[in-house]
Amino acid sequence: MRKQIPNIAGGLFLIFLLIFPLIYGRADYDYIMHILITGFFYAILAASWSMLSGYAGQFSFGHMGFMAIGAYTTGLFCHYIYISPEPTGLCWETGFFGQWLVVVNPIGVTSTTLTQDCLRQALAGWGGGVEVTSMPVPLGILLGTIMGGIAGFLIGMLVLRLRAAYLALFTLGFSEILKATISAEIDITRGQAGLELPPLYPNGVTWFGSYFEPTDKIPPYYTMLALLIVCLLILTWLARSKFGLFVRALREDQDAAAALGVNTVRYKVLVFTITCAMAAAAGAVQGHYVQIITPNMLFLLQMSLVVAMAVIGGIENFVAAAIGAILLQVALELLRNSFVIGGIEVDMTIWRLVFFGILLMVTLRFFRNGLIAPVIHYFRREGVAEETVAKRATLTGPGGGPHRAEAPD
Amino acid sequence: MLFWGVIVWMIVWGVAGSILIKRRYLARDLDTSNANFVGAMAGASLGPVGIAALWTKTPKSSNFLIVGLGLLTVLLVAVTFSFADPENICVTSGGFVASQFVNGLIIGIIYGFMALGLSLIFSILGVVSFAHGEFYMIGGMLVYFITAVWIPGVPPLLAVMGACAIAFVIGAVFERLMLTPMYHGKIDRPVEYGILVTFGLAFTLQYFVQALAGANPVKAQRFLSFPRWSWPEGADPVWIKTSRGSMTLFEQVSISSPRFTAAITCILVLLALLYLLHRTWTGKALRAVSQDREAAAIAGINPDRMNMLAFALGGMIAALAGALLVQAFSWLPQVGAIPAMRSFVIVVLGGLGSLPGAFVGGIMVGLVEAAGTGCVPDPQKAASYIPAYGMIVLTLTLLLRPTGMFGRRFASGAHGQF
Amino acid sequence: MIHLKVTNLHKRFGGNHVLNGVNFEVNGPELIGLIGPNGAGKTTLTNILDGAIKPTSGTVYLGEDRIDQLPPYQVALAGLGRTFQVTRSFRRMTVLENLFVPALAMGNTHGRKELMEKAMSVLEFLTIDHLRNEFAQALSGGQQKLLELGRLLMLNPDVIILDEPFAGVHPRLMEVIYAYIRRVNDEGKAIIIISHQMDSIFSLSQRLLVLNFGDLIADGPPEDVKNDPAVIEAYLGAEEGEDAA
Repeated sequence: MRKQIPNIAGGLFLIFLLIFPLIYGRADYDYIMHILITGFFYAILAASWSMLSGYAGQFSFGHMGFMAIGAYTTGLFCHYIYISPEPTGLCWETGFFGQWLVVVNPIGVTSTTLTQDCLRQALAGWGGGVEVTSMPVPLGILLGTIMGGIAGFLIGMLVLRLRAAYLALFTLGFSEILKATISAEIDITRGQAGLELPPLYPNGVTWFGSYFEPTDKIPPYYTMLALLIVCLLILTWLARSKFGLFVRALREDQDAAAALGVNTVRYKVLVFTITCAMAAAAGAVQGHYVQIITPNMLFLLQMSLVVAMAVIGGIENFVAAAIGAILLQVALELLRNSFVIGGIEVDMTIWRLVFFGILLMVTLRFFRNGLIAPVIHYFRREGVAEETVAKRATLTGPGGGPHRAEAPD
Repeated sequence: MLFWGVIVWMIVWGVAGSILIKRRYLARDLDTSNANFVGAMAGASLGPVGIAALWTKTPKSSNFLIVGLGLLTVLLVAVTFSFADPENICVTSGGFVASQFVNGLIIGIIYGFMALGLSLIFSILGVVSFAHGEFYMIGGMLVYFITAVWIPGVPPLLAVMGACAIAFVIGAVFERLMLTPMYHGKIDRPVEYGILVTFGLAFTLQYFVQALAGANPVKAQRFLSFPRWSWPEGADPVWIKTSRGSMTLFEQVSISSPRFTAAITCILVLLALLYLLHRTWTGKALRAVSQDREAAAIAGINPDRMNMLAFALGGMIAALAGALLVQAFSWLPQVGAIPAMRSFVIVVLGGLGSLPGAFVGGIMVGLVEAAGTGCVPDPQKAASYIPAYGMIVLTLTLLLRPTGMFGRRFASGAHGQF
Repeated sequence: MIHLKVTNLHKRFGGNHVLNGVNFEVNGPELIGLIGPNGAGKTTLTNILDGAIKPTSGTVYLGEDRIDQLPPYQVALAGLGRTFQVTRSFRRMTVLENLFVPALAMGNTHGRKELMEKAMSVLEFLTIDHLRNEFAQALSGGQQKLLELGRLLMLNPDVIILDEPFAGVHPRLMEVIYAYIRRVNDEGKAIIIISHQMDSIFSLSQRLLVLNFGDLIADGPPEDVKNDPAVIEAYLGAEEGEDAA
């Protein structure tokens, strides 16, 4: 019975998250909703990262890079590709089921309005007689997810030989190269100025008879929550199947796993592909939600936020990592309020991050399994020790009991 | 167009050479550890002729061959570049080239010095310290605060020494508090633990400094003003001429005072470090631990103390680099990120854990960066790509030759495997 | 019918010849001891058979399949399992999970119930069934060795290579390992044991292979090998102080 406590608590937490937007009515509604949406975003990243690092033992520091691949794929897709009923005659275009698929030429960041991209010029020429359709956002998100998966697959293939510190440095290098490329190719990505994305539901959405504006928080809230739940379900399913068993064996001892018939290459690449696709999906949805993406989301400190959330939640349990991410995101936002002690103003916008860093180090040092995972573990593995002792009492074979004090040779 | 054509040609033959020559050396039962590199360089510099020559003779891959072919390749790239872009300032002005070269060398010495600290930590503890950039940052911050805020008028040398001492203490305390559990198998994956916990330190230090010092850029006064002086009198060109802020050699090469003092200090400290490592008991103990932990422990060395010393020394070296450069660049709490990345590149290029490798790698990176900023057309894009160049070098090195130029294979365990 | 055929196996690391044309065959459920002084090439031979490293030249056939160019996991699936000199259990997985890895890798099509029953019977045989839900790292060194043997039973290969199965094992556990080896052999599997403990090797095995500096210098029944002058020379001449029987 007590083994069910984590499940019940998790279910209650989920129900709370599901009904929260409907019952909360304070003035800071939009702000709180924004915090939670961002929290879900980080939760997806932390959960997928903990699958990659905690479960499979592949410490990647490039997770934000895959997130950015997802965001920029859908961003560029929605930004540059349109469907027009008439040929523009200016852009690169091709026939597409009786319509015209138009690829807009990149013009980058221009301070003057003199330079317009070819589609705007064509639209001006038509004088409002022609309506062009932009690409559907879900397709962009799907493409972003696929691109993230492909990138994860390629990186996974490349890092087969690399372990530990070498893997960390390689993935960090990948992320930095991506950041530099996005910052430098201003013509296409608009660099630091940021690439604008259409909102998640460009024309609003009607759910259960109520209409929501594109700026409303409820649709992105439930979209992100649904993505989080889907990701967690997939991860849970994977962890309970032989996939989970094999990647853990891989983490513990790659050579021994191979000698026992585990195709280590396949599972290593697979775990990279799946978790990176999840990160990319989260990035794509978040990109459409905040509607602007910049290369700054690739900063190492962003990565460290995800790492810290996963570690504090529990690096080897992705549910704990996800819950840790949501709680920490909320806590970090609530701690923003500065206060004054004895005439000294304490700027909490910075100090909260100092405490966060200290919490990360203390968790690593003293609570190696994080702060949330051990609680779940406590209920789940209840009775194992008693069982061992009870069985040993009835046994006089040469196996003996677990000699915990004895150092394994 | 010509330039890129030649580059593609070189890459194609380089790849071909690296594969073919490796096969050849394998078939001939020779040491193959350098065959990849030699083959690639022979292919890149001499094309099919080079590969054919190497194939028929298959000489032992001596250092002479490696360095010679490597230099030839670089030279070829430079010559092609000058043909492709004859108007470029790097081709027309010899003085500019000399100036870029000297300044690249000087900054490279400082880079190499900083990377040395990272390499020292890795060779002893097996940890890649992600807080290296933050030690660099606090070094500079401390010097600024000591000289400009806390004790105005204090001699810069004292301030630098004070900053080093504080960084040393921070490193030692952190190592005692946070890294000790990873040495005795209490942690399942010590390498990852080390990375994460230094990551936490970086995060904490950066925001801690930002909370205390604010987010406005600061800059220290230059430590040393040259006397006005020139030598020899009345010669044309004057060999050495100094003004307060800089020194000019042959009226062409200008070296600013902050960079000059920083490079000289780095070299002096480096010599002191070499003395420490090779002539004192402590240094020998450090090197022994980096070779073989268990054997050193049996020989009466306490490896844990050496861990503390190495981490503190490594942090202090980074802090010293920062303390010396705060007079040259403006300083922010985030300033450590780029030097940290550069240090990663340098130590991987030189070989993780190799001290000479770190230094040589630093000089190479310094020179390449000088060439990159000075010679590449479209400087804005080039500047944005500079971090990427380093990272491309890093990723390629890890893929092709994880031991770097001078690296050795570390046994599995604390240092992690490839 | 088990048939492992090793033909003219060479391995060179750089200029260092570790194996010099090793030839032998295993026919049927033989119990073979592989001995040799340190540096003789035993571990290299094991790693080649297992697929962890590729031979410079030569072939290894298991039945009709050529296995010397296969990666380790395919060699394992083809029917050759091994243990490691240093125990390599999956330390932070439970004992049962350790056993499930090879079983699932083999493509176990039975239900969870059969899998569980099989694992429990293996654990009971190895006398560590009371530890089934403990993490492997909580086990003693000897128990971890038993766990490794248990994983091999779950993999169910035709040929088993045991690398130093008796090293650092309590005498009482040793008997369990003896029983294990005999039972597995009776079930019709070929076993190759690498060990420095001559007593165990001579008493257990029906046939001995002796490696020295990469050459197979003897191949035959233990009594013949014991008196082979080349073997005596290899052990007494080259490696004085070796624990020869």
